[in-house]
Amino acid sequence: MDPYEIEFIGENRISSIIPNFTYDKIYLICGEFGPFRAGLPLNVPLWLAIMLKQKQKCRIVPPEWMDIDVLQNIKEEEKRSRFFTKMPNEHYMVEAKLILGVAAEDVPNAAEIKTIIKDIWDIRMSKLRTSMDALMKSGGSYGRLDHLTMMEINSVKPLLPSAMDELYKIKMMTKRAPTAANLNNSTFSQSGSSQNT
Amino acid sequence: MDEISDIVVSDEEEEITADVVLKTLQTAWQNERLAPEILPHNNDMVECMLGQIQHMERNINKLPKTDLRASIHKMELSRIKFIICNYLRTRLNKIEKYCIHIMNDEKQRIETGTNYLTLAEFKYTQEYIANMEGHLKKVVLDKMPGNMKSLEMNKMAVYPNLLTHIFLKANTSINGVVLEDLVADQDEEIDLEEGSQHILQYKPIADLVKNGKVQLV
Repeated sequence: MDPYEIEFIGENRISSIIPNFTYDKIYLICGEFGPFRAGLPLNVPLWLAIMLKQKQKCRIVPPEWMDIDVLQNIKEEEKRSRFFTKMPNEHYMVEAKLILGVAAEDVPNAAEIKTIIKDIWDIRMSKLRTSMDALMKSGGSYGRLDHLTMMEINSVKPLLPSAMDELYKIKMMTKRAPTAANLNNSTFSQSGSSQNT
Repeated sequence: MDEISDIVVSDEEEEITADVVLKTLQTAWQNERLAPEILPHNNDMVECMLGQIQHMERNINKLPKTDLRASIHKMELSRIKFIICNYLRTRLNKIEKYCIHIMNDEKQRIETGTNYLTLAEFKYTQEYIANMEGHLKKVVLDKMPGNMKSLEMNKMAVYPNLLTHIFLKANTSINGVVLEDLVADQDEEIDLEEGSQHILQYKPIADLVKNGKVQLV
């Protein structure tokens, strides 16, 4: 899937806004939202929040986890743990990008928060690369990836599944032609390395 | 305008609300995008949602153009249309790519009443194959010597790679999924806990995708 499709899915999350207008309840296909009272917070899907913000009809209330202390803790935890820790939100990167993109002034310390989230993302991505490397080297065709968010999984999709497919094909071939195994191995490792470059 | 009555899916008696239909469609779209093979169709849901969209569009037209609600509703409808279009297009892409294979399998499935394609999709597949055959004959084969004119469609079939690796998330706990290890002839059994995520080959879990016990991510 393309990243914009992941973003699209992430936009269905509910987030909180403070509107500056008053309106009755609105009945959408995905549910009913409102009533909108100027100055009172209410929950709407993220896409609606972004849209209203762009029309300057509301302020976005940053989600609880979008806070320096909370994020600092997550970052430390992520550094300490060998495994992936559970993120506060399935789509933290999407939500952060959208909210900080259109409503940075609604988030206290937006710049620092941006940096910390980026740091967390980087730590997780480097962990992901390490574990992908280990998985490929052990020649496994199965792996468990708890707590990885969709965007993170999607970022390795062009590489990991097809690499595992190739590995599987090679294994099947070497099994079928055991005598030529040594020869095959050397050719495969060559073609493998040229693919990586 | 502000009434969305509960809607009834024609085939079943039970009533479901519009947001459940939407969620089902979104899951179906996501699975279809990520599965290597074509999945059973969700025509009831698509039809139902299209009806809902039409109903909504009629109501929006009654609102003044500058009304904020109109633009919110329009935005939501565009989002839903995007899902439906993308979903149907993904299916058509698969049909075009694997047409011969899908047609052969589908004929067997129709006999048992477990068809994956909708009637329209089935017709499309038939026509697509006929057109392709006609085209190949017209452009090349008709100009060949008599002994080279035969065309074996089945030899041209493209098959989806069911052994490809996919990412999935378990919706419920499932015990004892058998991963065949053809290499070492040693089968491995794993349990999928609710909410856990895995990468594995598509084939062992194909049925779990179709009955909604796992979700591709």
